[in-house]
Amino acid sequence: MAILDRTSTLLKEAPAQQRRSRARLSAGQVIIYIILIVGILYTLLPFLWMLGTSFKSSTEIVRMPPTLIPEKFTLSSYRTIFTDPSVPLARFYLNSIIVTFSIVAMVLFTSSLAGFVFAKYTFFGKNLWFTLILATMMIPFQVIMIPLYLVLVKLGITDSLLGLIVPGATSAFGIFLMRQFIESIPSELIDAARIDGASEFGIYWQVILPQMGAALATLGIFQFMGTWNDYLWPLIVITTTEKRTLPIMLTWYNSQHGSRFDLTMAASVLVILPIVVIYFFFQRWIVRGIALTGFK
Amino acid sequence: MATTLPRKGSLFRRQHIFAGTTVTPVMIYMMLFTLLPMLWGVLITFFRYSPTRAGGPFLGLGGGNPFVGIENYLDLFSNSPNGVLFRLSLKNTLIFSLVYVPLNLVVTLPLAVFIESVTQRAKSFFRTIYFLPTVTSAVAVSLVWGVIYNPTFGLLNLGLRALGLTGYAWLTDPQTTVLGIPLPMICVLITYLWSDMGYNLVIFMAGLQGIPDVYREAALVDGANAWQRFWYITLPLLRSTLTFVMVMTMLSAWQVFVLFFVLTNRGGPSNLTRVLVLHIYETAFRYQEMGLAATVAMVLFLIIMITTLLQLRLLRKDWEY
Amino acid sequence: MSESSKLSRRTFLRMAGLTAAGALAAACAPTTTPTEATGGQAPSGEKVTLRLWSHQNPSFVGANEQLIAKYKDQNPNVEIKYENFPYADFITNIQTSMAAKTEADVMEMFGSWVQSYAKGGTLAVVDESVTTLAKAQELFYAAPLDGYVWEGKLYGLPNEYNLEVGGVLANKRMFDEAGLTYPPTWASWDELVADAKKMTKVENNVMTVAGFDYVTGDGLGFLFWEGILEKGAEYFADDGVHLNLLTPQAKETVQWMYDMANKDKVVDPLTFNGDVNWVGTSFFQGLVAIGYIGPWIVPEGRRNYPDFKDPWDHVESPHFGSERKFAADSGWGKVVSPNTKNIKEAWKFSAFMTMDPANHRQWNVATGTVPALKSVAEDPTLLNDINWLGPSLKVLPYGRYVGMLQDRDYIWYTVVATHITECLQNQRSVDETMQLMHDEANALIDSKIKA
Repeated sequence: MAILDRTSTLLKEAPAQQRRSRARLSAGQVIIYIILIVGILYTLLPFLWMLGTSFKSSTEIVRMPPTLIPEKFTLSSYRTIFTDPSVPLARFYLNSIIVTFSIVAMVLFTSSLAGFVFAKYTFFGKNLWFTLILATMMIPFQVIMIPLYLVLVKLGITDSLLGLIVPGATSAFGIFLMRQFIESIPSELIDAARIDGASEFGIYWQVILPQMGAALATLGIFQFMGTWNDYLWPLIVITTTEKRTLPIMLTWYNSQHGSRFDLTMAASVLVILPIVVIYFFFQRWIVRGIALTGFK
Repeated sequence: MATTLPRKGSLFRRQHIFAGTTVTPVMIYMMLFTLLPMLWGVLITFFRYSPTRAGGPFLGLGGGNPFVGIENYLDLFSNSPNGVLFRLSLKNTLIFSLVYVPLNLVVTLPLAVFIESVTQRAKSFFRTIYFLPTVTSAVAVSLVWGVIYNPTFGLLNLGLRALGLTGYAWLTDPQTTVLGIPLPMICVLITYLWSDMGYNLVIFMAGLQGIPDVYREAALVDGANAWQRFWYITLPLLRSTLTFVMVMTMLSAWQVFVLFFVLTNRGGPSNLTRVLVLHIYETAFRYQEMGLAATVAMVLFLIIMITTLLQLRLLRKDWEY
Repeated sequence: MSESSKLSRRTFLRMAGLTAAGALAAACAPTTTPTEATGGQAPSGEKVTLRLWSHQNPSFVGANEQLIAKYKDQNPNVEIKYENFPYADFITNIQTSMAAKTEADVMEMFGSWVQSYAKGGTLAVVDESVTTLAKAQELFYAAPLDGYVWEGKLYGLPNEYNLEVGGVLANKRMFDEAGLTYPPTWASWDELVADAKKMTKVENNVMTVAGFDYVTGDGLGFLFWEGILEKGAEYFADDGVHLNLLTPQAKETVQWMYDMANKDKVVDPLTFNGDVNWVGTSFFQGLVAIGYIGPWIVPEGRRNYPDFKDPWDHVESPHFGSERKFAADSGWGKVVSPNTKNIKEAWKFSAFMTMDPANHRQWNVATGTVPALKSVAEDPTLLNDINWLGPSLKVLPYGRYVGMLQDRDYIWYTVVATHITECLQNQRSVDETMQLMHDEANALIDSKIKA
């Protein structure tokens, strides 16, 4: 598609940009820096607040006026969570890791393969199928939740991690994204491979996939975020505490009968931390991937 | 676009077999887990259905969940409690999305321009931090911001009071409006902007990097100032990115749910932040009218689809420069 | 960029392959017995597995666990699988599984939800071997029990009598600082409000202490019904199905609430309401002097705010008319799914948790709730275990079930609590509020009875 042609050409030109950015600090630039730093405060303050609160004692939380940085650092909320006999925290982490990595792996495979076929082949009903795939992205999840659950019951995989993993193996969005990206890969490459005697799957595996690092990384990260943070659906599918995933912790100490704010914030930190670490690890890829696919 | 033309003979057959064997399982899979549920969703819009009522043997339809024809659709335009709440939710969703899109653009585009203008190292620092909130769970975001907005000991009012101002009941004041928008809605907008602006920022940065230097350098030679360069050179060249960002942002704004469920406690105060997705959820489960909820979902689906089609049309023309 | 992409493809695929294989293996392992939950797979034909669902409230969960352990000791052939869910999504869980008929055998439901489920045919009638309606009516107070009755049949058994009437939270430090008698002995609401005025604090236009906070989703409903009844009127219309909220008594009650917030200014309804600074939280943060909330908050407050230093009690509250007369919101209790394979066992277990006086009491003590069984509530030794129940116990005989509102959450929260709050916030006059509530409530009732 056009946007991809454009963005991929612009990426090639990107290094040339760097020459321009070196400059003395003019008055205008000082203002720019001030604006950017104010924006950073807006961005980071809630995180700092969450982190600070998780290290406060429960008395300090309700003190007026409140403190941003804890006067007395305490690990008591984390200790409470780690030693809470009703919270199998390690199990939650493990379950989240199993579910998230399985889904990400499967989505990357199915999306790139189907995206390849939709981009580079013609077959009966192609446009109809593709339109249907697009349409499924637009239906609010709250409505298909019940029938989806009925399907899982028929398959006998409710209350198991499989029940979370199996429906997540394909992603309409992933297929859409991959097709967009693969369309920009020149068909000559494919024809050349065919003349060399490559099988169709061989073309996918050896010609297409190597071109797709950034796009796969982007889809992978976003799928990771979506699955890792998913709250409502696991709650419906999983009923046994030991089979739950990590986001259940977010509301664990936040019941209808009042909440433990110190514990809720500590739990939030525990839920967010892995994804933040992974983000810092992969953030270069995400940015490039977004630029390539125009995705959000 | 660049589609390999099918050729006659074994090669053609081979390609067909490959396409068939790969796409068929994927499609069956998607049928099972998405299309089938979707059809169910369409079907129950013609029933007065709730799983809390035992109905007939087929999907619980019939019996306590009778067929009602297009009554659910007519209900949306009636003065029934659901009809009134539906129209209110539609209005709130429109307010939210129509304010959010320009707000987002007005913040992210200049920010992207600013970040692009600083040194390479600072640039990647700012970009990394600004994008960080987008990876955070929406439930956690709502919990933290809920406390920031607390009228008595929240961070925001604390800051205002330090400046000698009175605070506000940010999330619960139904009367205060800013430019006609209720204060709680403003709060959700600000929080959503916080959690979402990273995406557009990065897309704009990519778009800006794609504008060849020669244009701006030429303008510089002609004596254009920074503002003129932005307004007459950068902005027109970013038009395609802008269109794309606008529509994508609009689409995601239509589907925000958790903030309205947790942060404003199910659309409060006085239903001022009740939006369509929340209305669907509440109607289905809390008020036990899933047929009605599915009907609202169909309307939302139509809106989203029309917006998407519009987007595809808009995006099709003049991309290249 | 091709070099780095290639590397990434390999690492990605290798990672993906490995994790997928490992993950699937791990995922399969714990899921080999999915049918176990519904029971009935024992070769001896003896072993029965029951599933129990409840919402995730620590003290409720603890109380249920204690009784489950006890039940298992006494019934070694029964295995109880206890699963619980966050409150906000509990009904979503129940309903989704009801669509697939996979809900638990026994569920802990709120009494005023029961009638709409019973009407829909998705709950089982109490087994005759456990109790009959007539017998249950002798044992339980009418207010909690009637929520479980639909068309002359009993659909569940209550664990508690849910009420916010009879007692209020009072902060002793604030009473002392204002030089007021403690514990207070209010003969009327006016006296309570007079005290509350003396304890209310406003600094820089911000209310830092609300003298009397009654603006909550549950509390406004309770006060509203109580006001109407004690002033001698009735909120149901003559047909017993629709509501009549246009009586002078109903208006008087709302006017009274309005005056407390706007003339006496004992609470700022903008900063103290069901959505923010909820009384069950703000009282324990030292922001409220007198808080209108039921006795169940006491153990919650103690657990959630272990460091709250002010001395406080749940003390007796006044009422409107010459005698106490109020409507209560049923209470949490146990219901049984009609899809259970072990209906007798399910009811036996439910009755064990609710009808056995010793167990009923143990459950109330652990959760700090008011007994629904008359014999337990009337036992004077109960106060040895829950010493804060005194004010609530006195009023129990005067309560009745609020009645079939068709959609309790809609009437109680979306109509009554929301619109009264708006009225207190000066969005609408009292007269307009009454008319609006009357119209909306009856429109809802019409839409529900139409089918």
